[in-house]
Amino acid sequence: MQTKKFLVLSLFVLMAMVLGACAAPAGVPAAAPAGGEAAAPAADGGEFTVLNPVLGDVAVRTALAQCIDRDALIASVYPTLDAETKVALQMDSNLPKTHWAWSGPYDFPQYDVEAGSATLDAAGWTLPEGESVRVKDGESLVLKFVTTNAAFRQTWSAVMIQNLAECGIQIIPTYAPASWWFGDTTGLARRDFELGAFAWVGEADPGGRTLYACNQIPLPNNGWEGQNSMGWCNEVASNAIIKANNTLTKEDRAVQYDIFQKEFAKDVVSIPLFQRAEAEAFTTDLTGPQIDPTEYSSWNLAEWKLADGGDTIVIGMSQEPDSMWQLVSSMAATAYVQKPTGLNRPYVQANYDFAPFPGYQDALSTIENGLATNNDVEVKAGDTVYSKDGEPVTLEKDAVVFDKDGNEVTYDGTSPLTMKQLVVDYKFLPVTWSDGTPVSIADFQLAQKIDCDKESGATSFITCESIQDIQWADDGSLAFTVTYLPGVQTPTYFLSPFDHPYPSHQVTTDGRTLADVPAAEWLTLKEIAELPLSFGPYMVKEWNKGQNLVLEKNPYWAGEVATPNVIFVFIPDTNQAQAQLINGDVDLLEKSTLGAQFEPLLPAVESGQLNLEISPSPTWEHMDINLYLP
Amino acid sequence: MTAYLIRRLFQMVIVVFVVSIFMFFLFNIAPGGPLTGLQQQQRRITAEDRARIRAQYELDLAWPWRYTRWLVGWPDGPVTIAGNQYLADMVVGCYMEATPEEGGGCIDTVTLAEVPQLHPAVKSSRGIVFGDFGKSTVVQPGQPVFGLLMSRLPATLQLQIPSLLLALLVGVPLGIYSAVRQYSKFDYTFTTAAFIGSSMPTFFFGLLFILAFSVIPSLNQDQFPWLIALPPGLQKAVRPYELAPGWPTINPGTPVDLFLHMLMPVTVLTIINVAFWSRFLRSSMLEVLRQDYVRTARAKGLREALVINKHALRNALIPFITVLVLTIPGLFAGAILTETVFAWPGMGRLYNEALQRSDYNIALAFIYVTTILTVLATLLGDILYAVVDPRIRYS
Repeated sequence: MQTKKFLVLSLFVLMAMVLGACAAPAGVPAAAPAGGEAAAPAADGGEFTVLNPVLGDVAVRTALAQCIDRDALIASVYPTLDAETKVALQMDSNLPKTHWAWSGPYDFPQYDVEAGSATLDAAGWTLPEGESVRVKDGESLVLKFVTTNAAFRQTWSAVMIQNLAECGIQIIPTYAPASWWFGDTTGLARRDFELGAFAWVGEADPGGRTLYACNQIPLPNNGWEGQNSMGWCNEVASNAIIKANNTLTKEDRAVQYDIFQKEFAKDVVSIPLFQRAEAEAFTTDLTGPQIDPTEYSSWNLAEWKLADGGDTIVIGMSQEPDSMWQLVSSMAATAYVQKPTGLNRPYVQANYDFAPFPGYQDALSTIENGLATNNDVEVKAGDTVYSKDGEPVTLEKDAVVFDKDGNEVTYDGTSPLTMKQLVVDYKFLPVTWSDGTPVSIADFQLAQKIDCDKESGATSFITCESIQDIQWADDGSLAFTVTYLPGVQTPTYFLSPFDHPYPSHQVTTDGRTLADVPAAEWLTLKEIAELPLSFGPYMVKEWNKGQNLVLEKNPYWAGEVATPNVIFVFIPDTNQAQAQLINGDVDLLEKSTLGAQFEPLLPAVESGQLNLEISPSPTWEHMDINLYLP
Repeated sequence: MTAYLIRRLFQMVIVVFVVSIFMFFLFNIAPGGPLTGLQQQQRRITAEDRARIRAQYELDLAWPWRYTRWLVGWPDGPVTIAGNQYLADMVVGCYMEATPEEGGGCIDTVTLAEVPQLHPAVKSSRGIVFGDFGKSTVVQPGQPVFGLLMSRLPATLQLQIPSLLLALLVGVPLGIYSAVRQYSKFDYTFTTAAFIGSSMPTFFFGLLFILAFSVIPSLNQDQFPWLIALPPGLQKAVRPYELAPGWPTINPGTPVDLFLHMLMPVTVLTIINVAFWSRFLRSSMLEVLRQDYVRTARAKGLREALVINKHALRNALIPFITVLVLTIPGLFAGAILTETVFAWPGMGRLYNEALQRSDYNIALAFIYVTTILTVLATLLGDILYAVVDPRIRYS
């Protein structure tokens, strides 16, 4: 009887859930009255338009930075690092000190408890006798801090909270699951924090526009678009970061980044805490790996050799690639495996800079070497141009663009306007697919067709949308000329807009040639997602899901390959991976596998069995300060 | 019995249905999802981009419709009867939400007529009820979930079956002997060991074994070349290796190689099972030994071996059926921690990865199959009860 009652009740609950959800599917305004309070837009005085009375004060933010001992934070998570490496992890801006766009040192508030206390005193936040928390106008200095529940972050956070307590600032921490903090509609994406810590990954191109420009503040009214979750709008900094991302020469960009970093240090809206450390370990029998902060060590895999002349190198990885189709995969594991096959970014991004990949290109297409030109072009109303915000727009009255001199112009709707237009020749060396067919210009055309098809599953089409025209070489060479929309001044213009060609001649298992398969089906194609043809030093031989992926020498690669076979084994647990390295079952653990957990390897390093290379990671921990109230 | 079986089968269908709908609902309301981390990509993601990406995961559909599509592959478009389309304009989701400035709500609804275009058959499931588990969305995007599960099942069975058999062979006699010799030195030693074995987490034993039989010998083979270092993990080696310097080379995939790679994970799982099962049997046996019929058997002058084996053991094993049949879903589900610690490419590891990376299709298929196996195992247990215990009758 009880069971029957329970079943009936359960069915009622289920029906209620189902009917409720059917009646008002996500976002469908079935119940909310139009124009009612619930549906009212958040205009002035709405969400994130009221300055946080505490954190909106630069003095409080400065004091926060002065009260956090970044060295102690580093020591808490990397206790065994030597002093020199620890110093290399310190930051004073949003860029690592080894980055070409860093022109510091910058005057970012450094650790000084006394100065921090004095700053707070001057701002009116005083410490009553016998109390541990400062007050102002009867309000205690208590701040909410959010980060993920990763042990790493909880460790340094504990030190930071102690640091701030010494200055009379009480922190209420929330260690949230990453799925909430980095969720699409929760946590950081909805600016649901006062102080929030996470990491950004530095790259050779410093970027930064989506993170710090005034028009990149996520708000309900813009559909939460942008990554400037602090709500920081400093016109000087914003203009500098926009210009830095709209300027072609490195020298000119560095000037803009310098302006930006000075403002960043002045406003203290985000506190750079430290660069993470990362380690890559390999047996002393292995020679050839070049560990670099911004390039995967596998990029020169063709040069790696085993001392005993072995024909198989084994690499341990904690993650397994999700697909061998780079267009839909953002995993580092995919890029690491693909790099020596040619199926991932056909250039080298070492030491925060770009270089051509040996064997694919002789040179990147720069203005300096004459492969690119930046012309003046006259545009008129109705033309498609690139706006100041970095998106294609139809030129009409009130459109804001950059003119040929880089000045911000609001178009009047009638006058002719001269803008800059990039025209770039991309040239590739002759290479051959691993089935023996030479790579042709049709393969690049297929790349453009698929990469720019919205059914492909790619995340962003920003590059495709910035192109006005493409001229393909008809002389058999692998070359094409891209004319970008007027106003496109992408600093990385010298990199091919399409990551790599696709073998248009390849016949799939169902008898179609690849060129005839719609983009929507590519994700499910074994010939693309699992065992693609390659044109680099190596080709994919087999992929045993959950176990390993085997590369072997591409017989049609013109260059040298020192070791013909490479096996990537997937080892999800770091302890297991370390044991495999010590046992000699794998020859190298790449950095995302090892992170900075290298202590168990030290005995093997001391005994000469292993090489261990520890370096500052481009990934940097920081604490953002939300300037506005929700 | 037939009526009982029909009733039970009907209940099982309801249980599986209720579990599936609750699981789907819980995954739907849990924070995160396949779009987690999208905002952390340092590039511009427009509202249109986000809408398109949401639709790739069917997140543009309201969850009850996603559920029915996952369950039976419906709706896949307007309802068609005799060539006529009905309900084409029925709203089943929201492609793009409006900002508060735009009035909030949805500015681009999804109707049944748009479903075939937004979610073409090549990307959709025919329904889990019809054996189509759909496609993986994150772990191996676009690949059929069924194929992924089947690729991992052999490895899980390779680990689970030997460990279960070994645990039976060792655990059952141990439990019986310990009960028969209650309060002896053996019993005290055994109960202590079994207590430790059932209290310690699997990964602890795993790491301990890896350290003791692989890492420490490897680090000391220079001084002690006779030390054997076992492979610390994986299902099989990927290149030839030696256990110790000068020992014969073992080639990948040979029976010796497979045996050596199974040794540690199977031992760890066996220890855990032995500890649990032997404790269970010991207490079950102790309970039976106190029964009147055992005392009567002894009073009749039967030999002790006969009393134990014929009268006590057979009755003590009856509750053990429950424990035993519930290992059936475990055969499929694998051992998440053991497989992860030993880099074993089994079902448990796949499930763990699917959960961590919000691949709902894999996770739901895994839970769905495990649920079915659990209810079937429970039914089997009940039937076996009736077979072995004449006091039980189902009518």
